[in-house]
Formats: sequence, C-alpha cells, structure tokens
Amino acid sequence: MTTYVLRRLTGLAPVLIAAATIVWILVFFIPGDPARLMAGSRALDPQVVEDIRAEWGLDRPVPLQYLTWLGKLLRGDLGTSYIQRRPVAEILGDHFPPTLILALAAVALSAGGGLALGTLAAFARGRLPGLVVQVLALVGASTPVFWIGLMLMLLFSSRLGWLPVLGYGDDGAMVPGIGVRLPEWDHLVLPALTLSLMSMGAIARLTRSSLAETGSAEYLRTAAAKGASRARVLVGHALRNALIPVITVIGLDFSALLGGAVATEYVFAWPGLGKTVARAIALRDLPVVVGCVLFLTMIAVLVSLAVDLLYAAIDPRIQPGAAGIPSVTLR
Amino acid sequence: MFRGVTASRPCPAVRPFLLFLCAVAALGLACRNRETAGPAAEQTFRFRIREDPPTLDPARAIDQLSEAVLFRLFRGLVELEPATMTVRPAVAESWTVSEDRLTYTFRLRDDVYFHNGRKVTARDVAWSYRRLLSPATKSPRRSILEPLAGAAAFARGATTDLPGLTTPDDRTIALRLEKPFAPFLSALTLMNTAILPAEVYEDPGEAYLRAPVGCGPFHFVRWEQSNFIELAAFDRFYGGRPSIDRVVVRIIENHQGALQEYLAGGLDSLDEVPEDDDPLAAALGDEILRYPFIGTEFIGFNHAVAPFKGNAALRQAFNYAVDKEYFHKTRHGNPMANGIIPPGAPGHDPSLPGYPYDPEKARRLLAQAGYPGGRGLPPITLWYNTAESLNQDMQKIQLDLKQIDVNLTLQSVDWAAYIAAIEGTPVRPGQAPMYRFGWSLDYPDAESILRPLLHSANAGPAGNYSRYANPRVDALIDEAMGLVDDAARAERYMEAQRIAVMEDAVWLFLSYYESKTLFKPWVKGVVTTPLGEFRIPIERLRIEKGSS
Repeated sequence: MTTYVLRRLTGLAPVLIAAATIVWILVFFIPGDPARLMAGSRALDPQVVEDIRAEWGLDRPVPLQYLTWLGKLLRGDLGTSYIQRRPVAEILGDHFPPTLILALAAVALSAGGGLALGTLAAFARGRLPGLVVQVLALVGASTPVFWIGLMLMLLFSSRLGWLPVLGYGDDGAMVPGIGVRLPEWDHLVLPALTLSLMSMGAIARLTRSSLAETGSAEYLRTAAAKGASRARVLVGHALRNALIPVITVIGLDFSALLGGAVATEYVFAWPGLGKTVARAIALRDLPVVVGCVLFLTMIAVLVSLAVDLLYAAIDPRIQPGAAGIPSVTLR
Repeated sequence: MFRGVTASRPCPAVRPFLLFLCAVAALGLACRNRETAGPAAEQTFRFRIREDPPTLDPARAIDQLSEAVLFRLFRGLVELEPATMTVRPAVAESWTVSEDRLTYTFRLRDDVYFHNGRKVTARDVAWSYRRLLSPATKSPRRSILEPLAGAAAFARGATTDLPGLTTPDDRTIALRLEKPFAPFLSALTLMNTAILPAEVYEDPGEAYLRAPVGCGPFHFVRWEQSNFIELAAFDRFYGGRPSIDRVVVRIIENHQGALQEYLAGGLDSLDEVPEDDDPLAAALGDEILRYPFIGTEFIGFNHAVAPFKGNAALRQAFNYAVDKEYFHKTRHGNPMANGIIPPGAPGHDPSLPGYPYDPEKARRLLAQAGYPGGRGLPPITLWYNTAESLNQDMQKIQLDLKQIDVNLTLQSVDWAAYIAAIEGTPVRPGQAPMYRFGWSLDYPDAESILRPLLHSANAGPAGNYSRYANPRVDALIDEAMGLVDDAARAERYMEAQRIAVMEDAVWLFLSYYESKTLFKPWVKGVVTTPLGEFRIPIERLRIEKGSS
C-alpha cells in the first residue's frame, strides 16, 4: 500500500508540470495583451504599457518567459498576479477555502441524498421512487446550473424569504490559526443545494442499479438466512458492495466541483476559486490562471488517489496497485 | 428481495424531499429570527460593484470600479461639486492663479488628517505628485501632471528635479505650468492626484494595495476578495464625520442576483435597474433614479483602412442608415446623440443637426461613396465586447444597414481580445474596421473627450482608435486648451465637433449616456451627478428607515 501511494505521488510531478505547461501555452497565445490590461481599461500613453511590459518581463522572448516561469515553479513559486500584484499562493489561500467548503457541502448533500434515493428506489424497482430517481437524474444532468440556482433563489429567498439571496456573508466565524473565515451557514444552503442537484440524481441512479445487481447475490441470501436483520443485510452487505462505482462518481464529482463551480459561484456571488480563474482568464492574468489550474490538478490527482484507497477500505478484496489501479482479487 | 419492504409505504422517495424542505424551512426561520436581532442604531450603506476593483492605488486607478471605492477614501487638493460639476476646494481651502495662467498656488486647510492620524501637509502633496509622475509608479494617468514645468523629463526618469512643483511652507504648494492648460484645475479633481501618506506608500511590499490610507470621509476596514469591501466613517474628516457609520461595497457580478438582493433589502442602492418593459420597473417607481451621465456611445470607423479611409460619404451613409430613435425608444431610453460632446460638458451643441434616420439619403450617399446598392463594398465586420445587453443593439445596426444593401458581420469577443483588435499599435492600425465604443468624460471639459479620441497625436492606443486625422480639428483642440475664457474655449470645441461630425462623420453617433440607479426609500440626501452613480457622495447620505 505504501509503495503504491508513493508511486502515485511520484507520478504527480510530471502530471502537474504537463497540465501547467498546456494552460500556460493556451493562455499565452489567446488574443489580448496582459500589459495593456494591467494598465487599465482607458486609453493611455503607449509608453506606460511598454514600461509595464518591461517590469513584468513580458517583452522577453517567449521561450525565455516560459523557462523563467518553469524555474520559479520548480522552486515552489507560483508567481505574482499581474492585476492584484500579490502572490498567487495568497490568492489561492483566499479563494480555495470558500470553494472547498462549498464543494464539501455539495458532495455531502449529493452523496447523502443520492444514496438515500437510490436505496429507496432499489427497494421499489419500477415504481414511483424509481421514476423519481430517473427524472431527478435527467433533470440534474440536463438543466443548466445557473437556471437551477436562480429558481432556488427566487423560491427560497425572494418569495419565501427563508434564506439569504446570495453572498458569503460578512459575519462568519474565523478558523483559528489559518486566517480563513467560514461562510455564514445560511448563505451556504442554496449554493450547495444547487451544486448537489447536478449529481444527486446520477448518484441515486447508480446506487439503484448497483444495488439491483448485488441484490440477488448469494452472500446476501446467506446473510439473511443466518438471521441478519433486513437493515444489516442492506447496509452492511448490499450497499457496501454497491458503493464502489458510487464512490468513483463522488470522487470525480468532488474534483469537478472544486474547479467547475463557476456558474454557481457566479449566481450566488460566492468568492470561490472558479470565479477567480474565470476573471483571471478574462484579464489574461497568466500567473493566476496557471497557478490555480496547477493547484486544482493536484487536488484532483490526490482525490483520485484517496478514492482508490477508499476502495480497499470498503472492499478488502481490492488491493490498490496489485494489478492495475484498482485491482480486484477474489479470495 | 427489497420489494417487500416498500409495499406497505407508498411514495417513499417523496419523503426525503419533504424532510429536506422542512430542513430548509427551519434554516430559513432561524435566519429570519437572527435578522431581527441586530442593533438598529448603526447606519450602514450597502451598494454593489460588479467585480473586485483592479486596484486601490489612486495613482494606478483608471476605472469606475476602483473609483467607486477610492472616492470614499481619498481626497485631493480640489474636487468637483457632484451636482454642478464645478471645481471646489477640498484639502486646499483656497487657491490663486497667476495672471499669465501659469502658476497655481494652493493654500491647504489646517484640519486635514490621514486615517493613520497624521496631519496632511504640503510636503505630502508634493510627495504624492512626484509619485504619480515617477516612471517607477507606471501610472496610466501621469499625463494629468505633465503640464507642470519639467514634468516630461522627470516622468522619463531623466532628472529628479521637478521645478514646476514647490512647497514654500507646510500649508502652501505652488504648481507652475510649462504653458497655459485651461482644464488643469478640472484634471486635478481626478482621484489619481489624491494625497497620500509617504510612510504608508513607500512600502516596497505594497501592503497599501490591501490596506489603503487616505484622508477622505471613510477609512478602510477590510477587503474580502470577491465578497465585499468594508469602510467606516472617519471621525476626523475635515468636512465633518459622515452620518453613515459603515459602507459595505458588495461585489456581485450576477445582475439578476443583485436585483433580487436589492429587493430583499441586502443592498441600499444598485447600479442596475430592470428594463423599462419589465413590470418590476413600474413597481419600483420612485426608487429608480435616471439622470444624465457625461458620456457618449458610438460606433467607430477605422479611418486607416478601406473602405472607410478617406470616404466621408460612406461614413455619412452609415450614419443616416441607422435608426437611433429605436435605441432611445425601445432599448435603453438614453438620449440620441447628435454629436460627440454630451450634454453637461462645455461645447455640447444642441443645434448640431447630426444624422437623423434617413435610409433614402443613406442610399444616395452610398452611391456617391462609390458603392451603389452596396456593390463593390468589401466585407465589413463590426466588433464589440461580449455583453448580453449589446447583442440586440448590434443586431439592429446590422439590420438597418442591410436595408441599404450593406452586409455587416458581427464579431463579439471578450474585452482583452476586443481592445487588441481595435487599438493596434502606434504604427499599425487595429484590425477592426468598425467597433462599438463608449467614452465617459473624466471631468466636465470637452478636452477630456476630444483630445484623446480625435487628436491625431493620440492615434492608436492613446485613444484615437479610429486614427482620425484632421489638422483643423487638431488646431482647434490645441488652441482651446490654452484658452482660459470658458466661452471662447467652448466655441473652439463646438467648431471642432462640427467639423468632425458634419464634415467628416468621424463615427456613427448613437446616444448620450444616462445613469440609472436604484435607491431604497430610506436613503436620504442623494445628490445625483453627471459623473455617474459611483460618484454620488456617500458622506452626504443618511439612512432613515423610520421615515420610509
């Protein structure tokens, strides 16, 4: 297991450098001059732009710019934002926590809701619960997240007045030691719910089908024959074995939510990383874009590793890395 | 095996939803209870900006978002009275101008303090001005002080002497110009000339970008990126402590969400209003304020490339072909533009004929331009920056030009790509043959629009994206800048405008801007200003919830 983890972590570095290089090249070559944008939105003396270009080394040959950036990266320096004029690491520190909190809440909701709905649907295959799961999965997958967000906002905030319309709130508790402020809890509900609806249906459908596959397995009949309660058979045996594909989806969802919550962050004015990256792209703030993508890639790889390890924790037959990732050996 | 479990419990999948709805309701009720418990005495004013300000350094600020915050934190020697746009004292209590109009001597107030508690002196003014001009600052607005004697060499870094700037004593500062520049006082009202404490702004780590210190009516409290900026009343503000105790500048990009937040009471003011045909607009009634904003919207022609190069008849044809009244009546309600200089700025000429909608005349001019029935006209692309609100306007222009057999292609790109496409370089024109643009005046003098956008010395990135060049217009602008007599200056501006509009049809003129702002009924003391919604003086506002 340790060897496997170390091997995976060693493989992280080239993945990160490759991802960052691709993004660096993409952002660098899209039309738009970062020096011009740094100078502001109004017309101005072109000499000012030249001075800014020289200050940031943007007047040097492209390969040299790339190598300079790579050298800094290898020393652990993500660079400094052109626009905000502060380290990218600091920007990540400001915007990653809100995104992480939102993603965790959304995954908790979608996993909890999806598992519950899927289990209920498996109990009543072909009946209304199954239909509900189908519809939810379809709606979740096909409805634009900004529309769902606006509808929830109009219902729960504007019409019913139960929840704040948007924002992170300005009075949340500070986490001691790390300088991160938590959102006000009522501000978290609607964005988390909006995000969770995207995948709740899919998780429910997957849970239902996985349970349906394992539902007729002989070991379940044996467990029931040995006197295990219905709940124990369901949760302790059937659901546990059905969880492998579900956890895969949850892991993928979590990684996607960390980087892909742009629309939800936009609708609910959530100060997260997705919106920061989107704005940095618009302003051609290359260090911020590359730094954020690099960081999110790292998180995605780590989440994928964690998911692989979870397989083994849930199903002892799985030995990560023994023969492929993950591998299943029947005892 | 699971089927039997559900047989006696109908519709089990609905239950989690009901439970979830109950949970949301409980959260909401708890939230509502908490809202009623806050203290009532503090006066907080909340308004919205779309994005984080690009900078809170006055020397580098060049956009409305930054100014929306900076005008609360900083003050310069002089400022504009928001309603009348006349120059009035700020940190300077008075000033004199020499007879030759070259020397401006300012006497400072004795009761001005920075937010860090230190008294403001003439040395601070001198330090701030030198910083603005310094090549190390790379200020996009150093041109404000370039009329000072010796400023050009200083700004190039050729010398550290700045003879045009002297401080005879702690309360006096003298500014000597190279040659008379009539709008100089107006230019000094720009936030870039704000007075800064050197001990804060000399920090090589630039901590002041995250914690600015000025001498304005509010002091900085905190900035949570993409969330809000909080300011608090400054007790020692020379103009008296504001009634508003706390200002929260909320950063909300989504305009629908911002509107809902305003309706829910989370904002006291909003810079965006519902469309005129939205029933909500009628419901909001008096909460919507509409007032002129000194700016002009137009479609620029690229005079450096075919087919617009040297073809005034073609540009006139395009002007007559577009029904500007449509935009006024159907879209935004802004007044139709008959020229360049908007109402409120000296030189605005209501008698200028402009180009009323006349498709027949447009067809005749098109033929006169060498393209009868549009034949022979190369493909023309109209560029604009991606914005939902612009799509319909640009499509209307496309449709109107189609009526005179001109095929226009629309190209919408993000701001960075757009600027690159229209500016070009000082020597190479931008690739956009036509582009949609808007310009708001920095101060109420037509120089602020005519010189950057029409003077041939500013061709390209300096503002004259059209690369328009007419020596007569250049001469009139140059002459006006040296005239201290307001009426005489306005005359030159009007003549320059007449040539550029009626003879040269330099652009396709669309509309003059108007500000539309929502204010809750409990916000009192609102002074609207043609300088835009973000220049409304918050220090004069009061929150009177009991009276609304």
